[in-house]
Amino acid sequence: MCFKNLPVEFDANGKPFLKGGIPNPYEPRAVAGLPKQLSEGQIEELLRRNGHIRPIDFDPVTRVAGALAFHSVVDTKARKVLEARSMATLFRGYEVIMIGRDPRDAIFITSRACGVCGGVHSATSAMATEMAIGCCPPPLGILVRNLALALEFLYDHPLHLHLLAGPDYSALVVGATNPSLLERAKKTATAHGAVHGYATVGELMEDLNPLTGKLYLEALHMTRVAREAYVLICGKYPHPQTMVPGGMSTTVDLTVMNEMATRIVQFFDYSKKVCRIWDELTEFFYDANPEYKKVGRRRANMIDTGIFDHPDAYDASYEHAGAWGEKRWATPGAIVEGELVTTDLHTLNIGLEEFVEHSYYEEWTGDGQKQRYATDPVGQPLSPYHPWNKITKPRPSGQNWKEKYTWDTAPRWDRNSMEAGAYARLWNTAVARKLPDNPFIEATGHSLNVRLPKGALPEMELTWRVPKDNWNAFERNRARAYCLAFTTLVTFHNWQLAMERLKLGDTKTSTPFEIPKRGEQRGVGFWGAGRGYLTHHLVLDRGAVANYQIVTPSTWNASPTDRFGQPGPYEEAVLATPLLEETDDPKAFKGIDILRALRSFDPCMPCTTHIHTGEGVVSREINTCACGVEEETASPA
Amino acid sequence: MVPLEVRTLVGGLGYRNLRDHSLGVVVSDRLAELEWPEGVLVEDVSYNPIAVVQRLQDQPVDRVLLVAAIERPGRAPGTIEAYRWDGALPDAERIQAAVAEAVTGVILLDNTLVVGRHFGGLPEEVLVVEVEPAIHEFGDDFSPAVAAAFDRVCELVTRLAKDQDAAPRLPESSLGGGRRVSRDAS
Repeated sequence: MCFKNLPVEFDANGKPFLKGGIPNPYEPRAVAGLPKQLSEGQIEELLRRNGHIRPIDFDPVTRVAGALAFHSVVDTKARKVLEARSMATLFRGYEVIMIGRDPRDAIFITSRACGVCGGVHSATSAMATEMAIGCCPPPLGILVRNLALALEFLYDHPLHLHLLAGPDYSALVVGATNPSLLERAKKTATAHGAVHGYATVGELMEDLNPLTGKLYLEALHMTRVAREAYVLICGKYPHPQTMVPGGMSTTVDLTVMNEMATRIVQFFDYSKKVCRIWDELTEFFYDANPEYKKVGRRRANMIDTGIFDHPDAYDASYEHAGAWGEKRWATPGAIVEGELVTTDLHTLNIGLEEFVEHSYYEEWTGDGQKQRYATDPVGQPLSPYHPWNKITKPRPSGQNWKEKYTWDTAPRWDRNSMEAGAYARLWNTAVARKLPDNPFIEATGHSLNVRLPKGALPEMELTWRVPKDNWNAFERNRARAYCLAFTTLVTFHNWQLAMERLKLGDTKTSTPFEIPKRGEQRGVGFWGAGRGYLTHHLVLDRGAVANYQIVTPSTWNASPTDRFGQPGPYEEAVLATPLLEETDDPKAFKGIDILRALRSFDPCMPCTTHIHTGEGVVSREINTCACGVEEETASPA
Repeated sequence: MVPLEVRTLVGGLGYRNLRDHSLGVVVSDRLAELEWPEGVLVEDVSYNPIAVVQRLQDQPVDRVLLVAAIERPGRAPGTIEAYRWDGALPDAERIQAAVAEAVTGVILLDNTLVVGRHFGGLPEEVLVVEVEPAIHEFGDDFSPAVAAAFDRVCELVTRLAKDQDAAPRLPESSLGGGRRVSRDAS
């Protein structure tokens, strides 16, 4: 039995049912044993009484995608965080925009939710529609879709590792916040110099410097390599033009495949190097000060829908989602307190709820509102807080920690605050041992072995070990580095399988479909972004979208404290973070440990709030007044 | 095949389906349908500015002319401004922020200028035509003020693109501020 908090049990055949005798089974009740924030009153009292306790706000949190603000209250004497509040500061609008539209529009509109991972939104949207209308892609279409999204991740992971999070570990930043640590790094020999080329950790940190560091610039280059391969089958990046229900509307031939291969193989050596770089950094910080193991630490609660469908298993149906989900290259799953509790997509789906207690939305349950669906399409119980039952009702208001303070919602699984990320993909896959047969990746139950083919560097087998008792910011980054290797190999294997089909004369990449004009249909896209978990829940009514709900990785990670008092993942991770920065001067304090904790999640706020700002940091900060400029012909009309 | 004599890139910048903020791409869509003298390329450059840099490094041009809607303080909606960018960059921290925004998908005139110049993608001569938007929301039509300015923007961009000696007649401006379009230039 995997649910501990929801009123759902399983019969002898493993079919879930709602416990009997409970008048209002999904009524939110207190959940025991969860971490909690201090109350607003307690914080105010502490601030009033102690000069060394003070608020630290990051608005915006820089070097993340989109608009994230973070409020904390820290005890500068005890060097710990007392309060942590995560704020998505922009309105989430895509669910509202989608109502009444043709579902084919969703593929292109929801892609715009993100400027990095538009492709995964397109694919997830196409999958929700193909499930709703009963249209299964042909095998080559499934493989090419896998390739497209894997290539998107090959853009995404280097970007995060060396352009967004990487600078936190650079000589420039470490030297400013922890000078003694940089001095130590300069004298610390590396363990894997033959792979990455650095003799000392200090040299490595120099090359992580933003704008000028070789690793920073190399990551920019590698994002280009991935993007070039991606556009061969998607037409454009980041918003693909070839995702359709039932596959991909792209033509693949040997020329396209060869062009793609020349890009994919460049990631063999790059992955080896990146994995070893993050091994070096992680072990260096742990050795220098074991307290770093507490930076960004939280319960290992994770959720992932799995990704990369097997062409012999995927049939686009909800009915068989449990079976085809477990055949994916990345296994779906929920991990609670470090234990994998399910790999079944149905169970993941029925355990999902979204709460808005501290979010700028109105509750949609109560007041006589009828629950739209009591069960999923195969008769398994659904909460009134499930996305298929959710109604998006924006309600902007003032910021108040006790009431509402973010545009993000609080998704929970079995009422647990779960985090999403590339690492959840690795963890599930390593522990579940359900990987399809392949020559490159092996799951052992406690680790994942990846065999990277020979490039300029020799063939190499690297092992990522599940950090079960040590889940923190460093392990998130290290796992993301290994996920680059994992993704490279999934890409290459799917490329090989696609080549086999082409050699057999199979060139069909999509299945024709029609949108039904009658009746009501439901679908859900279970997929993943580079940053992890992604679902699009869709309801069609007479051919038009009647409800559309998106839950992204950062919807989970940036979520606020929920109605049970349980902090969201960013909040929980920051609450556990010790302040190890070497300064007693409040003016010099940069909050680097808090920022490392936050950035380790790879926040993506446009996805979280599903809207683009059109405003960049630069324009916000350096807009200059046009005073003094002579006015000439000014008439706009 | 693009002819080797290409000298000017006219680039529209903006988001599709974002009403007034789509102006740049709608302009480049419109202008791309016209006949142009050899040496003028019209493109939608509404993508990651790092990729714009890489595109310009692959196929360098002598002049870039960017057109976009962008909010500036104190301007009435629909106001058209044109200038020569002076190319001055902000400090390293702000450039880094611009790169972070660029790779995470922010498409914005100022980011494109900063990232383009920092990484050496932009040529010396960069001309900018800006329009003050009125509405920032989902949709495929302009506000009345921007709709009224649209034809004039297209005409101005066309003239500037065809007149390779137009630059000296435009005022020079730093990042973040243009000048209202002069009668001479337009």
